[in-house]
Amino acid sequence: MAGKFNLRKLRVVLWVLVAFITGGVALLSLGSRLAPVSAVEAIYTKPFSLVNQNGVAVTEADFLGKPSAWFYGFTHCPDVCPTTLAEMSAILEALGSDADRLQVVFVSVDPERDTPEIMKDYVDYFDPRIIGLTGGLDQIASMAKDRHIFFEKVPLEGSDYQMEHQATVQLVTADGRFFGTLATEEGFDVRLAKVRRLIND
Amino acid sequence: MKLHFALALIGAFAAAPVAAHDFTIGSLYVDHPMIEEAPPNAPVLGGYLSIQNMGDTDDRLIAIESSAAEKVELHQSTVTDGIARMLPLADGLLIPAGEIVWLDNGMHAMFVKPAQRYRAGDEVPATLVFEKAGRVDVTFKVEERSTGGGSSHEGHGG
Repeated sequence: MAGKFNLRKLRVVLWVLVAFITGGVALLSLGSRLAPVSAVEAIYTKPFSLVNQNGVAVTEADFLGKPSAWFYGFTHCPDVCPTTLAEMSAILEALGSDADRLQVVFVSVDPERDTPEIMKDYVDYFDPRIIGLTGGLDQIASMAKDRHIFFEKVPLEGSDYQMEHQATVQLVTADGRFFGTLATEEGFDVRLAKVRRLIND
Repeated sequence: MKLHFALALIGAFAAAPVAAHDFTIGSLYVDHPMIEEAPPNAPVLGGYLSIQNMGDTDDRLIAIESSAAEKVELHQSTVTDGIARMLPLADGLLIPAGEIVWLDNGMHAMFVKPAQRYRAGDEVPATLVFEKAGRVDVTFKVEERSTGGGSSHEGHGG
């Protein structure tokens, strides 16, 4: 009787051990799968040299140390760009005093037409806290390449042209790592929740 | 509380004039042409409207003319896989018999190089040119841009 009881006890102990080991192995493999994500390359630390809407020269260092939200567009854009900037302004408003913990940056992918003055007028209309960047096309192009941002000039009739460009807002951690994106179709509450997660990260 | 009441009042007044703003030419019914307010020196403005074809033959919106801009182009913008693209509607916009077509959320009239700054509340004159129905003068009302935030209604956008 006693022997049988002990055997049963041993069997339970063994199964518990098996469970622990299985769980441990699962956690380890999950950990190794998560590892590359947390070690994602800090692409937003790559160097650039542009000018802000006040004509002041800025580099990548000016945007590190605080989470940021980046949008790449142009002012000759009737819908996607102004809508996105209006949405970012609504996010800043909804964040209240927490808005201090986020930098919102609008980079022109059409620097040939978007001068700092035009950028100032444009971003100030939506929210003076939004930073507008423009500068040399080569600098914009290398920044976009470093950050895996697509843009392309598309000729129209005559000398006119349009820009095709990344339409999602890129969320970036204080140490320059890609955190996620915001898209218009997600709805305001989802976008706000993502931004809150970024600034509380 | 006070603020909410004030906002509700503003909302009620702001919503009112939107109601009756339409134009008819033959069997085409053009409803609520509007332009989203843009930054002071914005080089382009996006215009939106809907057209209902109550007749039994198809028609086509082939152009929009306006003294308020250097030119007006009909465009289709799309966002596919996160990339925004814009194409001219080269053949205009088909308005099939018995259907409603929205120039909205993607399809838009782009007013290039506006003659002046237009603010919410302003009216912008324009002429819609249809292949069969001919020309009709309309006014695009300038309205605030929807941000999708708070309790404001989601209307035109894109």
